Amino acid sequence: MKSVLTTVVAAADRAARFPSSSDLESVQGSLQRAAARMEAADKLAGNYDQVAQEAVDAIYKKYPNGQGKDIDAGTQKDKCKRDIVHYLRLINYCLVVGGTGPLDEWGINGAREVYKALGIGADTYVTGLTALRSRGCAPRDMSAQALVEYNTYLDYVINSMA
Amino acid sequence: MTEDRRFFNMFPGLTEEKAIEILATPLEQLDDSSERYIAASHLINFPTERSINALITTVQDLDPAMDHRIARRKAVESLGRLKAQTALPTIRSCLTDPDQYTVENAVWAIGEIGTDDDQIKAEITNLLQQENQSYRVIIQTLANFDYKPAIAAIEPLTTAEDKLTASTAITAICRLTNDYSGMNQIVEFLQHEQVKIRRAAMQDLADAQYYEAIAAIAKCPISLAFRVRALRLLAQAGLPTQKIAFSDIEPYLDDVILDHPKTLDLLHEYDQLPSLDFVINELYQTDFGRCYLATQTMIEHYAGVAGPALMLTYEKSAHNDYGAHYHVIKLWGWLKYEPARELIIRALHNTEPQFQKSRGAAAIALAQLGGSEVVSLLKEQLNSSVFGLKYACLLALNQLGYQEFESSCFEGQEPLLQQKLERLSSSSKKN
Repeated sequence: MKSVLTTVVAAADRAARFPSSSDLESVQGSLQRAAARMEAADKLAGNYDQVAQEAVDAIYKKYPNGQGKDIDAGTQKDKCKRDIVHYLRLINYCLVVGGTGPLDEWGINGAREVYKALGIGADTYVTGLTALRSRGCAPRDMSAQALVEYNTYLDYVINSMA
Repeated sequence: MTEDRRFFNMFPGLTEEKAIEILATPLEQLDDSSERYIAASHLINFPTERSINALITTVQDLDPAMDHRIARRKAVESLGRLKAQTALPTIRSCLTDPDQYTVENAVWAIGEIGTDDDQIKAEITNLLQQENQSYRVIIQTLANFDYKPAIAAIEPLTTAEDKLTASTAITAICRLTNDYSGMNQIVEFLQHEQVKIRRAAMQDLADAQYYEAIAAIAKCPISLAFRVRALRLLAQAGLPTQKIAFSDIEPYLDDVILDHPKTLDLLHEYDQLPSLDFVINELYQTDFGRCYLATQTMIEHYAGVAGPALMLTYEKSAHNDYGAHYHVIKLWGWLKYEPARELIIRALHNTEPQFQKSRGAAAIALAQLGGSEVVSLLKEQLNSSVFGLKYACLLALNQLGYQEFESSCFEGQEPLLQQKLERLSSSSKKN
């Protein structure tokens, strides 16, 4: 799994060298942020269902006639939750790992092509995840530093999928 | 094959006027910063001059804020989907953009719009020398243009560590040199441990019109949506040119639409028989290869008890999860689980776009259950616009012994369905 640590070691090994000072600085930076990431991961894991529901609610609040036309809005809301939960789970893994590896490998790499080929838009993810980024509040939800870490990965998903 | 547009109009409440207005409103004045992206995406539904102009203006705005950047690149994609010739110079200017995905969408859009300008193709080729670009899209576009001067730049990528890139590079070299000996490697990728590489290889085989892979495509353990799509693309290319006959593709298409796990080359295996709870949970995996192994295990080892357990998981989660929903409906059919009949009929009629796969699954499952009303339920669906559903209904009706298709059934159907109908009708006459 790609992370700051594995990237540094792999790069050093490819060149048959010891990690450089700047390598160690980036590892140090990642380790220093680890406590904040673990806090964010813990809060998200404990509350992911409600967080996903907030994203879905934001989608349908914005455009009440949204996705799917032949069923009532209450039923529709449940349906795109599968994908939102999937991305929240990958964000959680990224917080644990301290890098975008889990999102890249399991969520993004290859997905843009599939979406384009099948004509699937990222509209609902962008709306839902943007809402999550806007509603996150420190210290109500988590510490300010943890929120920074969490929002970084939300932004990463939005930017990569959109 | 007609373009699948079921996800295009995600926000039918949003008008063209409103979307154009949103694109012209400064970001800080919008209620929600994602609105601009939605507007740029939504204008795909309006192939008008004013929509195209609004999209071009959006692309020309270089504001680096992320909420604009994603809207800008979406506008590039929408212009490509609208095949907006007038936007070509603006889109071309994006080829040097610092944002990788803006470049990717620009290359893709140029491919959609088309161009005879070799200078543009050379600019696209040069992107292969740069780091962190979307190499697959670039290579696919160059191969679609049949741009042979790109061969030298593509060749080194055939051994790329990233298999997604290598697969499309090998494919492009085969296409551009007309030497298809390398395509065996792509067929092998259909059995790669990573689902994204299996999916990519399937796209590459379809792009190369590599008809020798039809059987391997049918057996590849990924969602049938991708397998049906690849087989339709191959049929669309090969039938009119007589490279293949309908009989070359029919048995494989039948297998894919029926989608019984025994017809797949499953990648994974269990060390020991897992519990029923475990295999039911596997139906929620995003890698369908794992779902099919779970399905096969339930059919072989839990046939007598799985039906009610699937009912519980349906009520708890699978009704909300379009992946598991598909497998549950299929399983109820294979297990002939009568108590699920009403839920299967509901799935047949569910028009939510993400549950489309389950409609064909329901048709196959109903044929397993049988019953007097099933034939009329299936016949009604022959009027739908969903290929997989209609083909599934034909197979299901055939299984139920129904072969007298009226001439009205043939009207307006695409060639693959026409030929299937003819085959079923002629076999009934022989009988």
